[in-house]
Amino acid sequence: MGAPVQNLASRAQKGSLAEGGISAKRHNRHLFSNTMFRYYFLFSILALCLVLGLVIVFIGKTALLLFDNISPLDFFFSFNWSPEEEAFGAAAFIVNTLSLTALTLLIAVPVSVGMAVLCAEIAPKWLTSFIRPVLDLLVGIPSIVYGYLGLTVLLPFLRRVSGEGLGDGLLAAALVLALMVLPTICRISDDAIVAVPRKYRDAAYALGSTRLQVIMRVVLPAASRGIISAVILGMTRAVGETMAVVMVIGNTPQLAKSLFTPSSVLTSNIVMQISNVEFDSTWNYALHMMAFLLLLISFVLILIIRILGRKRRDAA
Amino acid sequence: MKVFKKLTVTALTAVIAVTASFAGIAAAADSLKGKITVNGSTALLPLTLQAAKEFQKLHPKVKIAASGKGSVTGPQAVKKGIADIGACDWDASIDVPGFKAFDGQVANKVAVIPFATIVNKNVGVDNLSTEQLQGIYSGKITNWKEVGGSDASIVVVTRAFGSGTRVNYQAKALAGGDIVKKEKNYKETGSSGDMKTAVATTPNAIGYIDLVYVSGSDIKAVKFNGVAATTDNVINGSYKIWAYGYYMTKGQPTGATKEFIDYVQSKKFQNGSLKKLKFIPIAAMKG
Repeated sequence: MGAPVQNLASRAQKGSLAEGGISAKRHNRHLFSNTMFRYYFLFSILALCLVLGLVIVFIGKTALLLFDNISPLDFFFSFNWSPEEEAFGAAAFIVNTLSLTALTLLIAVPVSVGMAVLCAEIAPKWLTSFIRPVLDLLVGIPSIVYGYLGLTVLLPFLRRVSGEGLGDGLLAAALVLALMVLPTICRISDDAIVAVPRKYRDAAYALGSTRLQVIMRVVLPAASRGIISAVILGMTRAVGETMAVVMVIGNTPQLAKSLFTPSSVLTSNIVMQISNVEFDSTWNYALHMMAFLLLLISFVLILIIRILGRKRRDAA
Repeated sequence: MKVFKKLTVTALTAVIAVTASFAGIAAAADSLKGKITVNGSTALLPLTLQAAKEFQKLHPKVKIAASGKGSVTGPQAVKKGIADIGACDWDASIDVPGFKAFDGQVANKVAVIPFATIVNKNVGVDNLSTEQLQGIYSGKITNWKEVGGSDASIVVVTRAFGSGTRVNYQAKALAGGDIVKKEKNYKETGSSGDMKTAVATTPNAIGYIDLVYVSGSDIKAVKFNGVAATTDNVINGSYKIWAYGYYMTKGQPTGATKEFIDYVQSKKFQNGSLKKLKFIPIAAMKG
């Protein structure tokens, strides 16, 4: 009885020794490749940071040259943008950008969150498996195509409905943008709703809630942080979108006093003018400052998402 | 053995001679080399690309890189030394409304570009005078009935400030008149294509565009002071809205750049490819 055990034990010891030899080699190899990959990733991240840093520094540096020539007060608070007469008031663009974004969200959020609820809670499986890929596809369409459709389909429709001569303005731009941000908001909210634990719903149903009550009182509040970050992500897309907006907003540098006033936002004004402006001119610096503003707005929005995300992790 | 040697020598000599003569011919054909960068007007870009293709066939050692962005980028790129040739829809060596002259640059005429006033197909007006156009673009005339059309508000479509088309239209059709902004029915577009789409899809719209873009049934070119917008009328001097397209260079062009500009200005190119692209040869104009 004793001998075989000993035999087994020694064999095991031998085996493990032999294996140890192989595994030490393999271990070293893994160590080497891990180190290499670590340096590779580190290098990639540093390269990315460098490029990003250069972009911020370059835009910022050129933008700040603006204030050598005009005062920040004029730039941020004057509504008079007539660069050919040396008037660089960007207030109209800033206000228009903010109101366009607000209007876009006003249209897009109810629809997209409603669709997310439909996908996650109500719709039968075959419908969901149809809607989700379609929404993902919508993200892939280039924005200029949305803009062109807006120009050729939406604008004539708005003209007929409103009786306006032109139809360009905030409403047209907001409708086009709403269609563009809808998939983003919908799919991320969808994920957030699906992630709400089953037991919450079961508990609510056990208490005798109706389906509507479960959705409105339990599921949506539980998923609210996810939905808010979805909305902010949609917002960043709406703030920065250019090509689609340019084609339907009218590009007139004035404050949008109504839904159908041809006007201009930060992005559309930059893209319309940057190629026709002399390199070292106040006008060029003013456009760079507007780009820098957009950068800051996106930065703040992303910061908000990060903070929300951290809070959610703490709460969980 | 001797014969063999003789043969070898002859063969070698022949080979060397042939190689040398080929090399000589090749050297003669390739004496022109260099790199030419062209930047600027999108209106002139098709012309530049076509000319570059033909020129590179004649001089394979010359590399031509052409891109288009906007008229004013042409002389700017030349000024900064980014480009050898700046394609521009106006003579950038003299002052034009909104743009100061670029000092030390030479304007080389390469083509004639006609422009046309266009309106949406539903507009019943066929002819507009300089005064009427000035009134429309300055915002004094806002209804089509004031210029003989039906009772409908005029929708003004224009190009962004700095566009070569706009500079030329303002100078020739509006006789230097203002293009007003901040009106309700006023819209700016970024390119000739956008301009065409906007006027074609907006009832009661008026705009302006390169004559070569005027096609299809949704827009029509109106007469200017009673003269139809045709290339023939440009050539015989009765239609006034046209401009020369220029290649701007830093000082007088030299070397490959000069050869290239000479080629674009040559009779062969002007009466051939340039005409096919619907530009007008510079030689056709008297003034």
